[in-house]
Amino acid sequence: MSALGELRRIRGSARGSPRKKDNRAALLFLLPWFAGLGLITVGPVAASLVLGFTDYNLIQAPEFNGVDNFTRMLSDERLYKALRVTFIYVVVSVPVQLACALALAMLLDRGLRGLAFYRSAFYLPSLLGSSVAIAVLWRQIFGADGLVNQILDLMGIQGRGWISDPSTALSTLIVLNVWTFGAPMIIFLAGLRQIPVMYYEAAQTDGANRWTQFWRITLPLLSPIIFFNLVLQIIHAFQSFTQAFVVSGGSGGPSDSTLFYTLYLYQRGFNSFDMGYASALAWLLLVIIAAFTAVNFWAAKYWVFYDD
Amino acid sequence: MRKLGAILLAATMTFGVAACGGGSDAGEELSEEPVTLRFTWWGSDARHQRTQQVIDLFKKEHPNITVKGEFKDWNGYWESLATTVAANDAPDIIQMDELYLASYAERGALLDLGTASKHLKTGDFEASALDTGKVDGKQYALPVGLAAYSIVVNTDLLAQYGVQLPDDSTWTWDDLKRIGGEISKASGGKVTGVQSWGFNDAGGLNIWARQAGASLFDDKGNVAIPPAVLAKYWTYLADMAKSGVAPPPSVTVERASAGLDQSGTATNTSVFATWWNTQLTSLTAASGKKLKLLKLPGEATAASPGAYYKPSMFWSISSRSKHPAEAALFVDFLANNEAAAKVLLTDRGVPANTKIRTAITPQLAETDKAAVAYLDTLKVGAAPRVTPNGASSIEAILKRHTEEVLFGRSTPDEAAAAFIKELQAEIDAA
Amino acid sequence: MTDLKHRPPPAAAVDAPPARHPLGVAKRLRTTVKHLGLILLALIMLYPVLWMVVSSLRPNNEIFRSPGLVLDGLHTQNYGEGWDALASPFGHYLLNSAIVVLACIIGNLVSCSMAAYAFARLDFTGKRMWFAIMLGTIMLPIHVIIVPQYILFSQLGWINTFLPLIVPKLLATDAFFVFLMVQFIRGLPRELDEAARIDGCGHGRIFWRIILPLMKPALATTVIFTFIWTWNDFFSQLIYLTDPQMYTVPVALRSFVDSTVNTSWGSMFAMSVVSLVPVFLAFLLGQRYLVKGIATTGIK
Repeated sequence: MSALGELRRIRGSARGSPRKKDNRAALLFLLPWFAGLGLITVGPVAASLVLGFTDYNLIQAPEFNGVDNFTRMLSDERLYKALRVTFIYVVVSVPVQLACALALAMLLDRGLRGLAFYRSAFYLPSLLGSSVAIAVLWRQIFGADGLVNQILDLMGIQGRGWISDPSTALSTLIVLNVWTFGAPMIIFLAGLRQIPVMYYEAAQTDGANRWTQFWRITLPLLSPIIFFNLVLQIIHAFQSFTQAFVVSGGSGGPSDSTLFYTLYLYQRGFNSFDMGYASALAWLLLVIIAAFTAVNFWAAKYWVFYDD
Repeated sequence: MRKLGAILLAATMTFGVAACGGGSDAGEELSEEPVTLRFTWWGSDARHQRTQQVIDLFKKEHPNITVKGEFKDWNGYWESLATTVAANDAPDIIQMDELYLASYAERGALLDLGTASKHLKTGDFEASALDTGKVDGKQYALPVGLAAYSIVVNTDLLAQYGVQLPDDSTWTWDDLKRIGGEISKASGGKVTGVQSWGFNDAGGLNIWARQAGASLFDDKGNVAIPPAVLAKYWTYLADMAKSGVAPPPSVTVERASAGLDQSGTATNTSVFATWWNTQLTSLTAASGKKLKLLKLPGEATAASPGAYYKPSMFWSISSRSKHPAEAALFVDFLANNEAAAKVLLTDRGVPANTKIRTAITPQLAETDKAAVAYLDTLKVGAAPRVTPNGASSIEAILKRHTEEVLFGRSTPDEAAAAFIKELQAEIDAA
Repeated sequence: MTDLKHRPPPAAAVDAPPARHPLGVAKRLRTTVKHLGLILLALIMLYPVLWMVVSSLRPNNEIFRSPGLVLDGLHTQNYGEGWDALASPFGHYLLNSAIVVLACIIGNLVSCSMAAYAFARLDFTGKRMWFAIMLGTIMLPIHVIIVPQYILFSQLGWINTFLPLIVPKLLATDAFFVFLMVQFIRGLPRELDEAARIDGCGHGRIFWRIILPLMKPALATTVIFTFIWTWNDFFSQLIYLTDPQMYTVPVALRSFVDSTVNTSWGSMFAMSVVSLVPVFLAFLLGQRYLVKGIATTGIK
């Protein structure tokens, strides 16, 4: 313990700067952000928190109803369904998507002809990911007459409407999410570019093979970026809305099998004029996401490597 | 900083607007000053173009009134409308749907059009049509077009499979199932006899209930359909899927959510299907085959007529409009002006205004004429009660329980009990 | 291509352990297999995109009746009809989107990089708390924020202008990019700014002269993502832009669709293809900056 403190002290002094706060500089650099927080973010966020304790139908004035919205959650079966769907989605789609993105980013980082073409090809789907056309396009793949069934048909297998079968609908949305791995891939690519080449050169001189280089150089130096992608993708996945909304026509169907948390919240708020309850749901979601993020940050101490 | 935040917080908390009174009175004289009205609707690009033409016509007659059209897609429309109403910033003229009418009207967001009778005439509407726009006895909405539920049959496919066209004045639900089965068998399953329903429209369920002498809602706005009637409805649908008369559930659900252009009727993969009569033109355009409207099965033996006129949509005026008189004048133009009607034709359904209906009929396409003829010859009962306040998500609830049954996750009886309980809870909470 | 000189030799060469013999058959084979695999993967990934392009060249009533990617003819009318289908020519919506996108990019680049520098390099009171708050702001779903926010913006008179879409970006409310840049800056060796500080540079100069040039990949990422996300963002643009004159591409595209009647799918797909072009070009340009990372600048 004290040895660590000693080390820190030495490192600190080695940098020649005593622990002096940069409060004034920080205020300047953060001025836009503080302004945004105060002017744009705080009001609506606080309002949504207050609304969480009201009965608010959007048209008439909200009425305080204490913690009714929160006690109501306990017996809300659809909320449990939504939580289950969302957890499965987060747990499966985030790691798979990140693994695909990282693998492709490594493959497309260097030394291959036609890199620009491949990168573009793999990124193009992400451009479409949330467009209105995606529902139709996804049906061309996983629909009853879609590509998957045409291929299965050639093999003599009877397919089904994958998107519209409650037992497979969520999987097709997970595939859809993985399909748009372009965004994390780009971030990984940018991260890979930050790793100084000399590390690899030195490793090669030492005779390290590619696997060792990956574990010893790429992963540690990329870990802040992996961490970033992990944190953000988890937050995003918990809030996943557009794709499920567009593909299921807003219903979260069939039979609630793709009822994402935010989709349910949206239905309560906008379709059933139940914005008080929707606000309460939003704050529950915030707590869940915050908990996941906190665990993430805590775990980061053990595997994320910073150079500062 | 903190003080500023507090002020802003207070500003954002000015929720709840409808409770207090509106702007000026709808019975006032029209303004001579320039007036700008906002008019919002949902639809496809064809509707946007026609509506804009009508707005231009109106501007020619009333140069001091500028109408700004705001068009949206269906889903975007309702989230946008809810947000603007919440923020006391609603458009003046609102295209309204039967599902949401009571939800907005009972909460005070809509103007009682009865107070605007000076500028808005309703003499050419039948009383039964006007009634569909009333909530608690007040005319909160004016029906635009009327539609009736029907079976659309592809007669080209019938001929191809050598199946006789059924007589729709006597046929029963069992006949539909039997004939559909013959087609499915003749086509080897490539084309199914029937395209199943039960997802998007409460229409089918309404009629089923009415034929059994019941109704979906009672006059007070509570759920009134007996569980046994509902269970039979789902048993029928599940049987059709199981026996191959209709496609497998996953295909049925997919088509239901994909919309008209990708339906079994439009892609010529189902012979019989339920549609609103006014959709015949769109369906014919998509399928390229000969389609015909049939009356629903079971009407001959029904306890009371199941068929009824459903308003395709309504015109409403925001209760907070600053120019209710001018807004009423514009709605009057939309509803009663012949020149406007000749532009709009049946885009929003067969006009509910009977005079207008007669005036435009010669101009209509063959399929639209067939739709009008269907409406005119149909024997209908009184329209069911408007969807009660709180039940605006009935279609979503119905769809979900239909899926539960089709995929065998609930029995029809379980689903019936659950559906009634859930819908009633929504109504009670509103 | 020049940057390859600074890079280790192609991966395959490193991989095959003793493969010192030139032009090994095995190596060529591996490369070919790799390319074949990548091309196949690309084709699968691109199938929906290709389908959309093909459908934009089909008459409306054939789109859902003829599956597959084989075209009988080129029905290019969809492009003309789609362009003129809504209240204004489609170019108008492209222009609106371009204005919003450009302003958002500038806003994000400036405000997020500044905030990120503070969080990554400065030591100030309550830093961890502020950082947590920043992350917290992106954890609430927009759907419950939108109504209070609409009320706020309507009191400011900003409804039906681009301000509700742009001003938040100028004020660094997009925590995603702040966090992204924080991570990148923390990946830069601290010795660089320490050295600059010893030379007497203030934070402003360190930020401007050292950090910004070194985080080009992160900035390029920010540009690409801001472009794409803003270009595709539907919800807030739908809510805040009420007059069709102000509509942007996603709002315009959706107003083609009505599931209860015929939808002009051909026109809709044609305009989707058209609206894909600018983002794709932006990506192609942006990715050239992505690959110019720290490695090529020869630091360290």
